[in-house]
Amino acid sequence: MISVGTTAADVRTFHEDVIAECENGIPAGAYADADFAHYLFLSAGGASTLSRALHGERRLHAVSGLVPLFSWDEREMAQEWGVRFDALPDDRPFYAHDGAMSAARIVHGEGIMQFVVGPVHAGIIESGRFTFSSGGETIVHLDAQLGYAHRGIERALQGALPSQAAAKVARICGGCSASRSYAFALAIEALADVEPEPEIELVRLIVAELERVYNHLADLAASASGAGYAVGFARGMALKERAMRLCHAACGHRLLFDAIAPGGLGRPVLEDRVPFGAELAELERDVHLYLTALFGTASMMSRWERAGIVPYETAKAFGAVGPAYRASGGSTDIRTFIPYGAYRWLPPSVACGASADARARCEVKRDETVESFALIRRALHELSDASLPPQRPVEPRPGRALGVVEGPRGTELVAVHVDERGRIERIHVISASYRNWPIVARAMENNIVPDFPLVNKSFNLCYACADR
Amino acid sequence: MTMFRRSIGIRHLVCGSCNGCEHEMNALNNAFYDITQNGWDLVASPRHADVVTVTGPMTEAMRTAARATLEAVPRPKVVVAIGDCATGDGPWTGAPAGAGAGVELAADVMVRGCPPTPDDIRAGLARAAELLDS
Ligand code: SF4
Repeated sequence: MISVGTTAADVRTFHEDVIAECENGIPAGAYADADFAHYLFLSAGGASTLSRALHGERRLHAVSGLVPLFSWDEREMAQEWGVRFDALPDDRPFYAHDGAMSAARIVHGEGIMQFVVGPVHAGIIESGRFTFSSGGETIVHLDAQLGYAHRGIERALQGALPSQAAAKVARICGGCSASRSYAFALAIEALADVEPEPEIELVRLIVAELERVYNHLADLAASASGAGYAVGFARGMALKERAMRLCHAACGHRLLFDAIAPGGLGRPVLEDRVPFGAELAELERDVHLYLTALFGTASMMSRWERAGIVPYETAKAFGAVGPAYRASGGSTDIRTFIPYGAYRWLPPSVACGASADARARCEVKRDETVESFALIRRALHELSDASLPPQRPVEPRPGRALGVVEGPRGTELVAVHVDERGRIERIHVISASYRNWPIVARAMENNIVPDFPLVNKSFNLCYACADR
Repeated sequence: MTMFRRSIGIRHLVCGSCNGCEHEMNALNNAFYDITQNGWDLVASPRHADVVTVTGPMTEAMRTAARATLEAVPRPKVVVAIGDCATGDGPWTGAPAGAGAGVELAADVMVRGCPPTPDDIRAGLARAAELLDS
């Protein structure tokens, strides 16, 4: 599944390798450890890594000048892992340094003004700083600076046993907890040569799709709110509440924390399937009614249309993933691209959009929500009243593995290095939000300031998993 | 009716939370919990607030903004720590993250849970309203 090529070749060869990998597959991100810089790529065959030795000097020629999506990754490698890059296009510290964020990138010019939003936002929203440069109402440039939720998680997890780390991995980011736990479990299970039973995989699929349902409902409600449509917001949030209660009915936790863990499940899940199935059916019916009404509201659709357009080339160059990529003409969905778990025999139909605007992103989420219910029903049917095997012990051998899943916002990747003692030597999280944030900034260019809430909410990205 | 005596304005402050606590804070506004029934409102500015809810272990980047936000709230004010991270019992408590936003900002009310349920949060806010009244 993983090929690790360590190359000591010169910059040119390495860059040629990177370009070749980008043509064969999708660049997924990069990270460093004590000795290497690792550049990750995904293709239908799985994941591959190009690793470069850092040697004593820890000096590399930046790749992000060539492939812009590596920009954040390389800034992070520079600040956190002491990699000294030559020709780094944006060489500002990625996280706060001595308690202060680096200066925002702003555009100067006649009639251009700047204004800052955050880090404390007006709503109940994670912390982040957005610096707008605008000419009148039109946004010329947006610099999204995150990092306010940087808790030093990756270092905090070093030395932990995977079994101890699981609960913490589930708490890196609340909104994509189940997806991250799933990716982490896949990586650890690959190193432990453990393959969970089909019943466990069916349950994991249900958990992962429940996460998609409650997230997409929240995103659609928020997108309605961003367009000023209060009814769409209120009804959507009420349905999201019901979805969270369904999560609680499934596993005893409203946000599905710890439901998925290495070796199986981390808490009892779907013990009582009859009431769950009944509530699921009722929620599915009401969600269908909501979606029909929401997308039938002409005044709101006209706000979503042509707002925050991300052309396919931009989406690809900056590394968009998930609904953000599929709304711009992409088609990659990890569930079918690199199938895992029960998706191997229960593949979803992949939702795509074409208009590349907020409307397309919402439509992709609408179609995915409908498909998630169908997947849950199919898995539940297949599961029937089968009893679930207990969690398997996992003892990973030393090595490196990647776990990759499709979360609500797209590709969720966890890279894990396990040492001789079976402990985590290095863990790196590349979240769908981390990949998509630079796209939000591009999406806002040439849009009007009042459309920021609805364009932003059509992505509705997390901060916590991007900041870690 | 004492718990409904005081209408409170609530300002939320995120100091390195995982966003799980924010999902539950947001639930307070949905049709099931609807705290406006209690005369409580989630306000956009600290200047309009009586109560500040804080989440997260506290991060280096948020420390200055968190103090500035708290200082902008007129007296009397009550600080409520929401969730294990903020109360100092969370997964990331300690270096390199902080000791808990509620611990660092001397919260008056501690609401445990990971995340606490909307009902737990509501109980914590009721306690905050009582403290403002006393
Ligand atoms: S207490 Fe739990 S849910 Fe709340 S921010 Fe911390 S980890 Fe997330």
